[in-house]
Amino acid sequence: MKQSRVINVLFLLPCVFSFVMIIIVPFFFGLYYSMTDWNGISNVVTFAGFKNFRNLFSSADFLYSFLITIAYTGINIVFVNIVSFGLSLIVTSKVKRRNFYRAGFFVPYLIGGIVLGYIWQFILNNILVSIGMNMSISFLQTSFLSLPHTVIWTMAAVNTWQYAGYIMLIYVASIQSIPSSLMEAANVDGASYSTRVFKILIPMMANAFTISLFLTLTTSFKQFDMNLTLTNGGPATRFLDMPVKASQLLAMNIFNTATANRMAEAQAKAVVLFVVLLIVSLIQVSVNKRKEVEM
Amino acid sequence: MKKTRFYTAVLALVFVFVTGFAFAAGSAEETGDVTVNMFQLKVEIKDALDTYAAEYSENAEGVTVKVETLGGGGDYGGAMKAKAQAGQMPDIFMIEGQGGYDIWKDYVADLSDQPWVDDTDLSFIVDGKVVGFPVAIEGYGLAYNAEILRKAGIDPASLTTRAAYEKALKTLDAKKAELGIDAPVAMAASVAGGMWWVAGQHNLAAYWGGGLDFNDTSVIEMALNGKLDQDRFRQYAQYLQLLFKYADQNILLNGSYDDQVGSFAQGRTAFLHQGNWVDPNLKQLGVTFEIGYAPHAFLDTEQKGLYLFAPSWYIVNAQSKNAQAAKDFLTSIATTPEGHAYMVNEAGMIPAFKSVTLKPSGQLSQALMDANARGGNYGVFFGMLPDGAGQNIFGPIFDLFAQNQDNLDQFIADMNRAVANLK
Repeated sequence: MKQSRVINVLFLLPCVFSFVMIIIVPFFFGLYYSMTDWNGISNVVTFAGFKNFRNLFSSADFLYSFLITIAYTGINIVFVNIVSFGLSLIVTSKVKRRNFYRAGFFVPYLIGGIVLGYIWQFILNNILVSIGMNMSISFLQTSFLSLPHTVIWTMAAVNTWQYAGYIMLIYVASIQSIPSSLMEAANVDGASYSTRVFKILIPMMANAFTISLFLTLTTSFKQFDMNLTLTNGGPATRFLDMPVKASQLLAMNIFNTATANRMAEAQAKAVVLFVVLLIVSLIQVSVNKRKEVEM
Repeated sequence: MKKTRFYTAVLALVFVFVTGFAFAAGSAEETGDVTVNMFQLKVEIKDALDTYAAEYSENAEGVTVKVETLGGGGDYGGAMKAKAQAGQMPDIFMIEGQGGYDIWKDYVADLSDQPWVDDTDLSFIVDGKVVGFPVAIEGYGLAYNAEILRKAGIDPASLTTRAAYEKALKTLDAKKAELGIDAPVAMAASVAGGMWWVAGQHNLAAYWGGGLDFNDTSVIEMALNGKLDQDRFRQYAQYLQLLFKYADQNILLNGSYDDQVGSFAQGRTAFLHQGNWVDPNLKQLGVTFEIGYAPHAFLDTEQKGLYLFAPSWYIVNAQSKNAQAAKDFLTSIATTPEGHAYMVNEAGMIPAFKSVTLKPSGQLSQALMDANARGGNYGVFFGMLPDGAGQNIFGPIFDLFAQNQDNLDQFIADMNRAVANLK
C-alpha cells in the first residue's frame, strides 16, 4: 500500500491547489491590503500600518453596524433554534402527513435570499400596509421596515422563516438517531412528555445543538443578501449623535465601503469581522462540546 | 496491476490539467478583424444600443462592436475592477463623474481632436482636454400633472419661488378629496426603498447649482472645502421640508421607484420629483394627461431654470490597440443620421449634440429640450462629490429628516457636520 501515498497526494492536489489559490492566498493579500491605502484599482499602494483599524473604532456607522449585527445574531440564534426545534418535534411525532410538513417547512430554504428579500419587502411594505389601511388597523399602516426599532426584529423573523426549515432537518436527523428504547423506557416509567423532552431528548441531541448554533451564529453574522434586498440598510437612525443606517449589518457596511472605492478600509473591516467571528464561534463550539454525551 | 492503476491515475490527472490549460489558452486567440468591446451601464438603452452596434458592425469593414451591459442594480464599478484585474479592459467604458475619472485616469484617451467636440457643451473636460463623450442629456425639475393643477386653479408658470410653492401645496392639500389625490407630492427619500438618490443626490443638487450660472461650481467647491452657505442652505432646507410635509408619507419613508412613479401616473399625486428618465415608465403606465416641469425654486428670489446634466460619459481606453476603431464608433453616433436616429428614436434619449434635429417623444424629455433651447438652466454637480457620499453620508441624513420633518435645525446641523468632514 506504500505507493498509494503518491496517488493520494495526486488526487488531493487539485483541491489543495484551488483552496490555496482561492482562499489562502487572497486571505493574506487581504491582510496586507487592510494595512494600505489601496482604492481597488490604483497601482500605487502605500503602506499605512494600522491606521485603517484605528479609524474604524471612531466611525459611528461601523460601531453601529457592529452592535446591530451582534444584536441581530443574538435574536436570530434564539428565534431560529426555538422554532426549528419545535418544528422538529412536530414532524417526528405521530402527526398525520408529517413528511408533507417536513418538505413544506424546508421549502423556504430553497428560495434564494435575494428573491426572498423582495418577496417579503412586498408583503411588509404593500400588502400589510394596505390591509392596515382598509381595515383601519393603525399599527399596520406604517411598514415594520420603516421604523428603526422594529426593522431588526422583522429581519430576524424573515430569516427565521427561511432558515428554520434547514436547521429543523438537523434536529430531525438527530432525534431519529436516538434509540427508541430510551424514550419507551422513560414512557413506561411514567415520565411526562415534557420530562422526556428535557431530560432525554435535549441532552442526547447536544451535538445537533452544537452544529445548529454554530450555523445560525455564522450565517447571521455574515448576513448580506436578504439584508440588501429587504431593507437596503434603511431606515436611518441616530447613533452617537450621527445619522446611521438602522439595519446595515456588518457585511453590508463592508460592501458599501468597498463600492465607495475605499477598498483598504473595507478590507480592514472584513478582517475585524473575520477575527470576531472566529473568536465567538470557537467559544461557542467549545462550550457546546462540553455538554455533548458519548453514546 | 497496481502499477497500471497508478499510471492511469497519473495520466488522468495530467489530462485534466492539460485540457484546462489548453482551453484557457484558446480563448485568448487572435482573429484578423478588430473587435471593439464596449461595456456600458445604461440598461434602459441596451436593446437600442445592441441593434445599433450590430448595424454598425455590418457596415463597417473589418470592425465588430460588441456591447456588454451591466447596470440597474448591478455593480458596474465592481465589474470594471474585475475586468481591469483580469486584463480584459473594454475599449469603451463609462464614467459618471470626477470620481470615476480619478479611478480610471490611466486608461483615459484624449478625444479633443474628435469631430463632435464642437457640437456639444457637455463633454467631460479635464485640464482643457476633452476626455468623455456625453451619452445624453438628462434633467429634472418638479414634474406636474397639468390637469390636477388646472382643476385646483394653480398656474404652473407661477411656481418660481418657495413662497409660491408653499401656497400651491397648501391649496392642493386642502382640496385633496375634491381632486382625488392622496397627497400633493410624490417624493421618495428612503434608504430602505433604495431611493436616497432622489433626495440626497438630485434634490440636494438644487442647493449645489440652483440659481447660479450653468457652470458655476462655487457653492459645491465651498462644500468640498468643508463649508455650507448658511443662509442659502437654510432656504434650501425649508424648501425640502415643504416637499417632505406635503408628500405621500408611505412613499416618502418607504416607497420604491415604482411606488413613486406609479402614484403620479395614476393621478394620485400632483407633483413628481423625478427626471426625464421616467418617460418610458409613464408611457408604459398609459399616462395620457399633460405633464410639464416646474423649477425647483427653493430661494426667496425667483428661479426659472431646470437642472440639466450629462449623467455619464463614454471613455475610450487609451491603452487599447483598438482605440481608433472605438473613436470611430463614437463619432458615428454623434455625426451620422443613423446615430442620431438611434439616440432619439430608439434609445429615447435627449442627445447632447446641437446638430441633432429629431425630437424625443416623451413629454418630460420635450420639456427639457425646450428648456435647453430657452437657456437659463442650472448645472448638476453631485458628480464632484467623493464616491459614496450620496449613499453613505447624505442618504441617512435625508432619511432621518424625512422621519422627523419638524426638526429643521437638526437637519442643518447634521449637514454642516457632514460637509465639514468632506474636507
